[in-house]
Amino acid sequence: MTEPIIEIIDLKKSFGDNHVLKGISMKVFPQEVVTIIGASGSGKSTLLRCLNHLNMPDGGKILFQGHDINDKDIDINAVRTQMNMVFQSFNLFMHLTAKRNIALALIKVKKMGKAEAEQRAMEALDKVGLSDKADAYPGELSGGQQQRVAIARAMAMDPKVILFDEPTSALDPELIGEVLDVMKKLATSGMTMVVVTHEMGFAREMADKVIFMDQGVIAEQGTPEDLFVNPQNPRTKVFLRRILKEVGAMDPGIPSDFVPNGNGVHDKP
Amino acid sequence: MVMTIDWTIIPDYLPVFFKGLETTLLISAISILIGFVGGILIGMCRISRNPLVYGISSVYVEAFRGTPLLIQIFLVYLGLPQLGIYIESPLVAGLIALSLNSAAYQSEIFRGGVQSISVGQIEAARSLGMTYNQALFNVVIPQAIRNALPPYTNEFITMIKDSSLVMTIGVLELTLRGKLISATTGQSIPVLLFVAVLYFTLTFSTSRILRYVEKRFAIPGMIGSDQK
Repeated sequence: MTEPIIEIIDLKKSFGDNHVLKGISMKVFPQEVVTIIGASGSGKSTLLRCLNHLNMPDGGKILFQGHDINDKDIDINAVRTQMNMVFQSFNLFMHLTAKRNIALALIKVKKMGKAEAEQRAMEALDKVGLSDKADAYPGELSGGQQQRVAIARAMAMDPKVILFDEPTSALDPELIGEVLDVMKKLATSGMTMVVVTHEMGFAREMADKVIFMDQGVIAEQGTPEDLFVNPQNPRTKVFLRRILKEVGAMDPGIPSDFVPNGNGVHDKP
Repeated sequence: MVMTIDWTIIPDYLPVFFKGLETTLLISAISILIGFVGGILIGMCRISRNPLVYGISSVYVEAFRGTPLLIQIFLVYLGLPQLGIYIESPLVAGLIALSLNSAAYQSEIFRGGVQSISVGQIEAARSLGMTYNQALFNVVIPQAIRNALPPYTNEFITMIKDSSLVMTIGVLELTLRGKLISATTGQSIPVLLFVAVLYFTLTFSTSRILRYVEKRFAIPGMIGSDQK
């Protein structure tokens, strides 16, 4: 059996008295697409941000390729170059063109020459279908285009894993599709991805594993089939029914007759 | 006694006025420059999480912002000798006081610029593996200084005008030259008005130049940039 690329053991994180993560354990294997779903405030984003220390965990272990990144001797910058993040609000560098957004870290972190970095940036832009926007500034791009550049920026670093923190939540509905298409292409190409999302269609179609988080713990996890068609935890059922009522109608990934199992008598919200 | 206004003394004393103008330009330019670099350093201390660094820089800023520039000039030129530190040239003493003072103000301008940048910009840089300093110098500072150009313009103009205070320790800059010419000739109105016009030429040029810089480095697609 292959080794997990990320293994989380009993991860805990609090902000003051607010215990956001109450002991999370999970594994991510190479080339896997893991989606994390759950209501706002369930700790999904915090979990993702702990993985590359944008938030410092309070306890537990995060093994990245077998090494505990909470260990003092680990160079977190080296870990981050192999585990990039795509943010909800894109976070492109506003003063740099699309091409230079991608080239910057290649030059500063990977120590590439300018020409090589820009060539690599152009290749990455091509992969997300934006080579014609290479010289555009983020402010001149639509949200969907900005997020595709952000994905290209992560891809160009040639990471082992890309973390996605609600990558489509800040987008207008008509722009979500283009970003999901890029992510699907990336998943198909074998990239290991951990995706916090409200896009159930994406989770159902692309995920190898779906994790449902509720109140700081993993309430349920399994294949999309397990989780969406046959959820065991009553809270999963409640969550799925609610979110599908909100987005299901316009989410092409969800069949119109799809109803999560459970008759709803004893699990009212 | 009423004295008729005689404008002809202006051309007569033009070389003297220009010598004063030159000194004023020199003092303001150097102290603005030192203040700019010093302001970035102190501003960075003011956003530091190290309580000692933050504390010392805060005391510095409050002290120089909260006391009269004139007192600061006197302290450098007249006070330091009592501690055994002699600054022979009043020009150098004036430069030191103005630079220290401007650095305090400019550090706050810089800090404001930095705080206008969303934390997501640093997070994005860090999540790509950049160090804190790389993120600061390549992502935060270039944007922070752009955003802070209007208050920087204010400060530069203020410095040009406040540089006149060093006349009190005998630096022969524009105001002191003007005052001497006016005392010699008795033509206060033409002389002082002309001095004012020369100051205005300096400040107005500064404002136009910085406006040009603002436009030149405006980020396309952001508020304030020319929409194409």
